Amino acid sequence: MVKPIASAAAFAAVLSTAALASEVRAPEDVLQELIDNHESAYLTQSEQNIMMMPDNAALWTADEGKELFLEKRGPNNVSLETCDLGKGPGVVDGAYVELPRFFEDTGRVMDLESRLIYCMTTIQGFAPDDPAVKSRHGTDSDMMKLQTYIASRSSGLPWNPPLDHPLEQAMRDAGEALFYRRAGTSDFSCATCHTNTGNRIRASVLPNINAPHEWTKAISWPAYRVGHQQVRSSNHRVRGCYWQMRQPQSIPGSDAAIALMSYWTDAARGQPAILPDMKR
Amino acid sequence: MNHHTSTVTVFAAAALLGLTTSATAAPPAPQAAYTSMSPEELAEYLVFEAGGFDLDATTQDGSTALERMIQDRTQKVCSAINRSGEELDRATAAKISALAEETIVFPEGGVALGDWKRGEAIARSGYGFRIGHRVDDHASRTPGGNCYACHQLDPNEIAYGTVGPSLTGYGRLRGTSDAMLNHTYKILYNAHTFFPCTNMPRFGHHGTLTQEQLTDVMAYLLDPESPVNQEVTETAGNEQASAD
Ligand code: HEC
Ligand code: HEC
Repeated sequence: MVKPIASAAAFAAVLSTAALASEVRAPEDVLQELIDNHESAYLTQSEQNIMMMPDNAALWTADEGKELFLEKRGPNNVSLETCDLGKGPGVVDGAYVELPRFFEDTGRVMDLESRLIYCMTTIQGFAPDDPAVKSRHGTDSDMMKLQTYIASRSSGLPWNPPLDHPLEQAMRDAGEALFYRRAGTSDFSCATCHTNTGNRIRASVLPNINAPHEWTKAISWPAYRVGHQQVRSSNHRVRGCYWQMRQPQSIPGSDAAIALMSYWTDAARGQPAILPDMKR
Repeated sequence: MNHHTSTVTVFAAAALLGLTTSATAAPPAPQAAYTSMSPEELAEYLVFEAGGFDLDATTQDGSTALERMIQDRTQKVCSAINRSGEELDRATAAKISALAEETIVFPEGGVALGDWKRGEAIARSGYGFRIGHRVDDHASRTPGGNCYACHQLDPNEIAYGTVGPSLTGYGRLRGTSDAMLNHTYKILYNAHTFFPCTNMPRFGHHGTLTQEQLTDVMAYLLDPESPVNQEVTETAGNEQASAD
């Protein structure tokens, strides 16, 4: 596979820390390696997306996110460089594949989105209802730019959310219970659609949570959703699946949403993240 | 199945621990309370008491979103079985079937096939009952049964799901005897009657399809004229199934 030079440059711009450049890998290479090693209709279902990955619009979103991360912003006019995403203040590389995790300073298990909001409000001084914090969906939101940048710095690294803290374990286990929890007018649970390999809903091939090599792609968000022409987050996907399930709207940043993500990230443990991804 | 602590107990435990939170305020550090609950108790707490969902929203059926999240016995038992990864034991299966059988309400005057064309529209439509950021409006569009999401039906339709078995040729293989009509009606009304803990939604039981709609879908399955019971015709691009 020959990669266009322009896209390689785009990705190189995202890779800034030389020391880790060898570990953080281009998402198209990570996906290709998974496809080479596993037979999976889910991984290969969109040939077009696989071809377009080197030109993924989300790569530019990541670049914009990096600028935003380093920019002095908010009432306190400081950057996010002192934000602790779990691996120490300012450490971005490899942080995302180790989320959600327990944070001493809040006493809570937090996902990327809730941690970012915490940093933007406490460090930069943004009010919780400032658009910079409140607007969560779409390529143009600060939240999607920042999330895409931070996540892209974990591409190719194995998912490895810590489960040492009792609260991390409790949240993961509750997330599993939520995943299997049938309710509503269609009796759906996430497990209805995501516990078999190769099943389809209409023409969409469904990823299986019990097949980590498929599930890593399933949870690799942010991703550019071709159908929406927007970069989307994990929370956006959760919202969409609850909507399909005819169940109430999931609230991002709630412990229910974080528990679900603790379980789904644990289910991909050891498999490399594909970030940013492209999805249908 | 000793995990079925009722929601009431969870609420009580949460109240004791002083955990009642509002959806907007950041919850207090939950450590002690969360780690003393079982995974099921914590999940229930997160759903109902910790601002996990927009439970106050109204729904198409005039209930609140909260009611959508309250599980009935079948949902509870089947969730626990699925999660355990174990096979359903015979006693529990019999109980689930019996519970399902009790729910079935036949049309007055017995089951008769409706109109397969209307049935086809119902089988194709996934509209209805979705709530949240976009709420399906039943006044402007009738809800469907979404059968194609999970089943192959018309052999010429390429965009079909495989969560359930193929139903192509369903009527050709089975005929339209009264026994067959009653049997199929029961499957659509509450499939747990024959398939305890199935993934198929209980269309009649939940009232997501009306009795008349059920008999229309039955016609789509069983009527000899229905496309479901015809042979495949040669069409271009049958392998394009996964193009979208
Ligand atoms: C009725 C079936 C159904 C249910 C129930 C369901 N999903 Fe999905 N899910 C889908 C479909 C369809 C897709 C899109 C897959 C595709 O495009 O190949 C999807 C996509 C996903 C993805 C991303 C994979 C991708 O490629 O887009 C994740 C992660 C996911 N679902 C998680 C969940 C969770 C968590 C739940 C429960 C809250 C859930 N799903 C419930 C049908 C379902
Ligand atoms: C969420 C997926 C799903 C949806 C939607 C769904 N079904 Fe099913 N259906 C199943 C599954 C799974 C089975 C297999 C029963 C089992 O073993 O659990 C099944 C079984 C059946 C059967 C029995 C097949 C047999 O072996 O006799 C019929 C008939 C049927 N479905 C009709 C329908 C119709 C008509 C609709 C739309 C109104 C529909 N289904 C919607 C999942 C679904």
